[in-house]
Amino acid sequence: MEQAPLLTALPQDGREHRLHPLSWLFVLIAQLKQFIVPLLVLLVAGRGDRNDLWGLIAAAVLVATSLAQYFTYRYRLGADAIVIRSGWLHRSLREIPYARIHNVDLQQSLLHRLVGVAEVRLESAGGAKPEAQMRVLTMAQAQALEALVRGHGASPGDARGDSSTAAPLLTLPPAELVRLGLVSNRGLILVAAAFGALAQAGGDLLETLFEHWGRWLFGWLTEQIGGHAHDSPLVLTLAAISLALTVLFLLRLLSIVLAFLHFYDFSLREDDGRIQVERGLLARSRASAKRRRIQSWTLREGILQRWLGRRSLQVETAGGPRGQQPGQQVLKELAPIATPSACDALLARLLPQAHWPALDWQPLHPRAWLKLALPGLLLIALLVLPACWRFGPPGLLVLLLAPLQLWRARRLADACGWADNGAVVAWRAGWLDKRWSLAEIDKLQAVRLSQSPLQRRFGMADLLLDTAGASPFGAPLQLRQLPLEAAQALSARLLSRMARKRLRW
Amino acid sequence: MTDAAPESAPPACGWHSPPVRAVRLHGGFMALILALCGAAAVAGPMFAMDDYTLSQRLLVASVPVALLALAGGFIGSRLRHQRWKLDAEGLWLRQGRLWWREVRVPASRVQHVDIKHGPLERRFGLATLVVHTAAATLAGITVRGLASDDAQHLRDALARQLDDAGDAL
Repeated sequence: MEQAPLLTALPQDGREHRLHPLSWLFVLIAQLKQFIVPLLVLLVAGRGDRNDLWGLIAAAVLVATSLAQYFTYRYRLGADAIVIRSGWLHRSLREIPYARIHNVDLQQSLLHRLVGVAEVRLESAGGAKPEAQMRVLTMAQAQALEALVRGHGASPGDARGDSSTAAPLLTLPPAELVRLGLVSNRGLILVAAAFGALAQAGGDLLETLFEHWGRWLFGWLTEQIGGHAHDSPLVLTLAAISLALTVLFLLRLLSIVLAFLHFYDFSLREDDGRIQVERGLLARSRASAKRRRIQSWTLREGILQRWLGRRSLQVETAGGPRGQQPGQQVLKELAPIATPSACDALLARLLPQAHWPALDWQPLHPRAWLKLALPGLLLIALLVLPACWRFGPPGLLVLLLAPLQLWRARRLADACGWADNGAVVAWRAGWLDKRWSLAEIDKLQAVRLSQSPLQRRFGMADLLLDTAGASPFGAPLQLRQLPLEAAQALSARLLSRMARKRLRW
Repeated sequence: MTDAAPESAPPACGWHSPPVRAVRLHGGFMALILALCGAAAVAGPMFAMDDYTLSQRLLVASVPVALLALAGGFIGSRLRHQRWKLDAEGLWLRQGRLWWREVRVPASRVQHVDIKHGPLERRFGLATLVVHTAAATLAGITVRGLASDDAQHLRDALARQLDDAGDAL
């Protein structure tokens, strides 16, 4: 059924083809991105000088090389391999069997989408660089190539190229995107970066902004109330609160806009053991990974998310060569926002051996809450003396924080727990911001059991289960304040299972 | 290889502690390093103290240097708490006493094994073994102060288990 469009878009007639006629433009853009810093230096620093000639020459050379690349790059689709011939002085001929191609990666920026083309990367299992990078093909050709490779893939029995027709596991309608914007802090990060840039470069722009706000508001209030509004504490408080509210509102609005930019038309699909995420409003991005490449799974639920009845699901993939290329998308957010039942269904489908959510959660050490409360209690004890010295007897009110801290530690300890069902090990933590982390036992790499002096006194221990995908700043599976015997037994159980099964990437 | 008994059992099961010379070497080395740091730090102020005689200055300067050397010796000789063991499931490594920790790596998860000899270590017949895994935090597990023979055995044993596991695949 797919044969007809495939033939017209990408004839397998054994003849050589060129890339899209506009290819040179995209090659040029890619090269410009690499040389952007030196070019800018040339253009800016050499302004008014005679050096702008050099900038022109550099640009001309880049255009010439990208044109040469277009004219010398040819590909031919054989019966079971793609043959790529490229280069002018340094020629190369590369034959890639379809069966070896593990992934066809399509990338589209805004410009790509305007012209209706895509950048195609053919990737095999190993190596830091893709086997071939075709910059650019028309969208129809790219999809036909993808279908062709998929049809020749390791499992010939499968239906060919129906990834786009298979129903997605998750999509995000606009209402969900608004919710995502409301709960996420993307806007905050952007604004913080902008503030940093302003403070660096803009100088007094920030100051002027605040001044204008104050003047506008004070002017309005002075008109309303009359008199010396500047001195009134009420007006000052009002100004501060209104400024904070406005900033908060704008931040959320920005977050929503960013959520739309990043996650518009989000779709999560599973196809042939690959999990694929496609998203983006202007620049479409597509990230995919083999399911067995996923090292750990994390389900999160912050306070705002809980109020809205939503959760998010993230995964960590092994930091292979794919993760390190610039412009390459790493699969991370499987479900940026979804209802708890949708998350459960996703986990049940993608990680069936976990039998989520029916895990047998084990509690922490009975006195874990005491250990959790101690640092805060010490801090309170240290604060009491200076407070009394500064404020007199009312300083003792600081002591009221102690029961609060004990209560918080109690809730925190109750919220934590661990589970191990023989195939998957899980850890849940957090009281306000909840987090559940799961990993297959076969994906664990090493185990560390540790005990501080205080923990030894209580008879508890921490257990770190390290996977390949974890970031060095805090592995997701850091089981804390477990009873020592339970931790030792779990460590022994995991080790015997890990030792039996060889790691499969 | 000149290994006389290739099919000998892996190093006797049970905990191995580092040889006394390794503990002394590490203690001495750390003491030296910290003392040098201390000496570098007090050198400036020492030259600035014009009102005192040379012997007085040296006396004053020697106090922090000696304290740092003591601390370094203490830190370095914490190696005496290290124990390692190799069994059918892989490598165990225990370190520390107050802040005690135990790392376990199954042989099936070992990516490769390095043996390092510094010049001083070579002089005393010692070696440092680094077991590399694919893990993010526990990426390089370092066993310090091994006798050279033990290090060779340990490396061969881990490598052999890797090969065996590969055959079973």
